[in-house]
Amino acid sequence: MSFVVRQIAKRADGGDIIRTRTLAAAEITVGRGTDCDIQLADLGVMLRHARLMQLSDGTVAIEATGGIPLEIDGKFVNRADLSVSDNPKIDIASHRLTLAKGDTPGAIAITAERVVAASDAADAASEIGIFSLRETMPSKRGLAWAFAGLVLIIGLALPLFMMGGSMLPTDMVAAAGRPAGASDAGKLQPALGGDAVRNAGYSADMVWSSGPLSTAHAGLSNNCGACHSQPFVSVTDSACISCHKADAVPAHASADRMDKGRLQTTGFQADIHKGLNLPDGRCASCHKEHEGPRGALMVAASFCTDCHTGLSGRLTDTKIANVPNWEDHPQFKPTLVSVASLTAPRFERVLLTDKPMERSGLIYPHDIHQSATNGVGNMVRKQGLAAGANGALACNYCHTPDSDGVRFKPIEMEKNCGDCHDLAFARDGGVIRTLPHGKPEQVAGVIRDFYLGQALSPRAGVQRLAFERRAPGRMAELESADLRVTSVGEARARGNAAIAQIFGADGKAGGLCSDCHIVNNTGAPNVAERYTIAPVTLASHYLPKGQFPHNQHKTYDRRAGDAACVACHKGVMTSKASTDVLLPGIGECRDCHGSTKVATNVPATCNTCHGYHYGETGQGGDFTNSPHRQPAPPAKVATRATPVRLGSAEPTKAVRKASA
Amino acid sequence: MASRAAGKASGKAIARAPRETAHEGFLNHKRSRWLKIALFLSALAIAVYVLTDPQPRPNGGTVAGYTLGTIGALMIIWLSLIGLRKRIITTKPYSLKGWTSAHVYLGLSLIVIGTLHTGFQLGWNVHSAAYVLMMFVIISGIYGIIVYARLPEQLSANRNEATQPQMLEAIRALDRQLDTAAQPLGKDEADLVRLSLERTDIGGNLWQRLTGRQPRCGTARARDAIQALVNQQMRTGKPDQRLTQILFLLERKDAALAQARRHIRMKTLLEIWLYIHVPATFALLAALIAHILSVFLYW
Repeated sequence: MSFVVRQIAKRADGGDIIRTRTLAAAEITVGRGTDCDIQLADLGVMLRHARLMQLSDGTVAIEATGGIPLEIDGKFVNRADLSVSDNPKIDIASHRLTLAKGDTPGAIAITAERVVAASDAADAASEIGIFSLRETMPSKRGLAWAFAGLVLIIGLALPLFMMGGSMLPTDMVAAAGRPAGASDAGKLQPALGGDAVRNAGYSADMVWSSGPLSTAHAGLSNNCGACHSQPFVSVTDSACISCHKADAVPAHASADRMDKGRLQTTGFQADIHKGLNLPDGRCASCHKEHEGPRGALMVAASFCTDCHTGLSGRLTDTKIANVPNWEDHPQFKPTLVSVASLTAPRFERVLLTDKPMERSGLIYPHDIHQSATNGVGNMVRKQGLAAGANGALACNYCHTPDSDGVRFKPIEMEKNCGDCHDLAFARDGGVIRTLPHGKPEQVAGVIRDFYLGQALSPRAGVQRLAFERRAPGRMAELESADLRVTSVGEARARGNAAIAQIFGADGKAGGLCSDCHIVNNTGAPNVAERYTIAPVTLASHYLPKGQFPHNQHKTYDRRAGDAACVACHKGVMTSKASTDVLLPGIGECRDCHGSTKVATNVPATCNTCHGYHYGETGQGGDFTNSPHRQPAPPAKVATRATPVRLGSAEPTKAVRKASA
Repeated sequence: MASRAAGKASGKAIARAPRETAHEGFLNHKRSRWLKIALFLSALAIAVYVLTDPQPRPNGGTVAGYTLGTIGALMIIWLSLIGLRKRIITTKPYSLKGWTSAHVYLGLSLIVIGTLHTGFQLGWNVHSAAYVLMMFVIISGIYGIIVYARLPEQLSANRNEATQPQMLEAIRALDRQLDTAAQPLGKDEADLVRLSLERTDIGGNLWQRLTGRQPRCGTARARDAIQALVNQQMRTGKPDQRLTQILFLLERKDAALAQARRHIRMKTLLEIWLYIHVPATFALLAALIAHILSVFLYW
């Protein structure tokens, strides 16, 4: 009855140290405690862990004494009877006891060894694991491949796969091509639907977009191929003009004139553009896209002067003056009436310094109308007309601002002249007989018929209004004597005399018409056709290529009201003829609008006054000179004949007062 | 005079480099030659940007934009080649120190060149992605310069002449002593020591490495528990001698662990930026390919 205990320990060099003891006892104890028969230096082992009892030859009972079940051949038990011939294995913490038959009869061999290595058996590899990040982080190479792959897939492979096939939406092109009709009114982007909607989804090549498209092109945002039709070829004009037909870009001269007129790039910049296959003079050269909502139409002042500096050198037949900058802006060249006409007036542009003359056909001396002390001033007071600070007729009595305050309403005879220059010629009971303005042939007929009617059937209370100056007190007598006719012949003679007198032809004083109009005596036998009035054409816009908002210039040089008007329109107070051109020159502008380079001035850039290529034609500034276009239609924008209206039956203010 | 005569006699140059030149780092290599070059490049780029007035606004597609972009792309490719250069052991044509100096300063000048190339236009696209990746690489690089300049000194001070294996061995030796000292203890006390022996992770996960803190570390928990036991015993009488010895060992192990963890923390701070710098560089190179190709594809 004995146990032969073989305890195996590892040496530092890896070899085993085996110590064998023989314990002559039927019962032995196992544990960490020093009093145990088999001592296991293992903190997982209880001080007294188990007890082995030899029951009979070949059978051993084992019992857990430390309160922890024993693991025997993979099973946890508190007590077991073991057959030694089965070579049972008992695991206690990191140690294993293996039972076997001893060499001597009745002896039981117990091998005790550590099966789980002690924690301090670390090797050199763990040092790197502990002190470096190599085992904590994924490898740098792996991360590099992963990130680079991700970028290449999203940034290149997917867009390449999706590229191509996208075109300008056909219905957008079709809509641009068809003539604008009533059904298209108000439809700015008629192609919303069909192709455009089909192309509205996600597109992988959107990641290539360098910025948002302009508002007008926003519908093409995910449709790159619409403009970028060929790979490695910069956007060509063909993509632009498939929607923007030539007629739909009115502010541009023809492509070849634009190309000739623009500033040619030279040197390094030209080399770069050439090397990168970026031809100049394309639509996209000026209209840069992917620059945000206003991108395609963004314009800077230098953008204008790029072409307008030395334009005449490149575009030799242009009539537009060179404008290198505001300081060297040429003097104004107002559009003046050269031939007045009711149907086809003619205009010409004359430099302000070239003694310009306005041939409107009207007689209108500004100086008389601006006096506070003469007859006009008297009339203003008596009639209670709008007067300026000096008591003279106010400027805005005739020049009334239009609704947006930029320019002025057309001058109308009845409204602006009629209060003084009224056309009443007779009193018929309570009715004032008035001559129709603008219809000279009717005027003659009305007067003739008035006298004839009075001869055939004289009526009391009918009175001719006289225009000549008479001594006071004799007016009524003269007026009634004028209508006392005894025969048709006398009536006709009186009528003819009255017609000649009212028209004021042949230099007759006191003429009603000749106050303002040039009257011609044709000598026609028919009195209704004898006198004609020279046609009048009043310009409505002297500088149609620019904009001058009068309402933003109501004060000038600490002056306001009429004083401010005449501060710029200098000749007004002394102008004796309507042929005078009373526009201020560019020098007056420069008094306030200095260079953009001077901080104290109100800066003036091109678009302070100008739009892009606004011309008389609305077709672009150089349009009329282009041999590639249809001849320009007669100028319309600046044309406005004096409005022709029938004489009003309402008595004018002056007459009403006279009749009272 | 004597030494000079001796030098002449032996025919050998005896003049030694001044001490400060001998210790010249990559930041002031050759009197900061590359710093000056980088500053000049940046100033030139700013001058080009300010003096040209592209319409309607500056962006990468103007003449100046293409020029800056080309310079920037070539610089990025050259900068990424430091990974190859450092693997080749040579001094010609430039020393690795010179190369690193150029890498750092030219890399920093890319902030100016790259930003001006964008014309301050950014969006959700592959072009801006390349820019953001570039800035990511540069910022991680700046971090790298800062830690390379500051941490080695602290690392050395903390190490206190001990090597990494020595630090580990110190902990292992304490473990062996703890193991031995705990042998006579009962289960509960022995389990506390096992907590220290088996539940102590020196390095830990990335966060623990970066902070150097492991409040749930087995050793700390064992130390606190045994400290409590000892305190309890001290209130009633004399504490168990074996426990006070184990407490002493645990405190020493805790100190050894703290030193190792400070070391690990600084090593982690020294290494972590490369896990951003290098992969982001390769992502940047990929984005650069996509950026350049797409610009010319959709010209």
